[in-house]
Amino acid sequence: MFVINCPYCGERDQSEFSCGGEAHIVRPKQPTELSDDEWAEYLFMRKNIKGVQFERWNHAHGCRKWFNMVRDTSNDKIHAVYKMGEKPPVL
Amino acid sequence: MLNTEYPISEKKSLDDLELTISEPIKKINIRGTKKEFFTKVGKILSIILPTEPNTSSSNQQFNALWLSPDEWLVYFNEENNNVYNDLFNEISKLNFGSIVDVSNQWICININGKKTFDLLSSGSSFNFNNFKNTKNSVTQTLLNHTDVIIHHTEINDINLFVRRSFSEDLWLWIKDSARFI
Repeated sequence: MFVINCPYCGERDQSEFSCGGEAHIVRPKQPTELSDDEWAEYLFMRKNIKGVQFERWNHAHGCRKWFNMVRDTSNDKIHAVYKMGEKPPVL
Repeated sequence: MLNTEYPISEKKSLDDLELTISEPIKKINIRGTKKEFFTKVGKILSIILPTEPNTSSSNQQFNALWLSPDEWLVYFNEENNNVYNDLFNEISKLNFGSIVDVSNQWICININGKKTFDLLSSGSSFNFNNFKNTKNSVTQTLLNHTDVIIHHTEINDINLFVRRSFSEDLWLWIKDSARFI
């Protein structure tokens, strides 16, 4: 259990949030031109890093807003939290 | 689920706690970001919507609670029946924002007394240290695993909003927990 600093509401317990998986995955501009393997790569394949990872989170039991977070998955240390649309921090 | 004929008289008094179901009251969910939206709401409700997170603004008739950067909950006594129509016609119909009557979606439970925050802390991970000293503060959190909106109206006096389908379970939990605080 850890505390997340929601960019809208402030510090809240992790139980109020839900993780939306890896962030900054760009949708292909021409999906119809992709092969099945390339489409599956975009749709299903995630890095699932043990270490620092860029993730999307949702404050499901609070303001219900989505935001991005940089989290070390090995120890849950949060390096940065930033709103959707903002540039990811350089670590 | 609580009886649709609101159990207005339901009240529980303990040593340092008083629990009441404060129904019926009118609740309106309003959403918008446009300039016209804020102007119209201000004109109809005579209130400035709070833009600072976790705060509320009130006048003699209306309470406006901040829910997210573009969403507020307004609640007031049922007597002002035209307010919803005015808001709907001036905002929703003209596409300046969204106005939804959620009166039957949320149940308001009033809790007051010295042990109000001891009761809430027993079922929530939210840190009430600053909240309990700040009048007009608002939070959305989990209480006994149930989504709630808490409006701190006066010191040691809160209005707690819970979804109707969860309200009976939470009401029973509150009554039960209050005995052990």
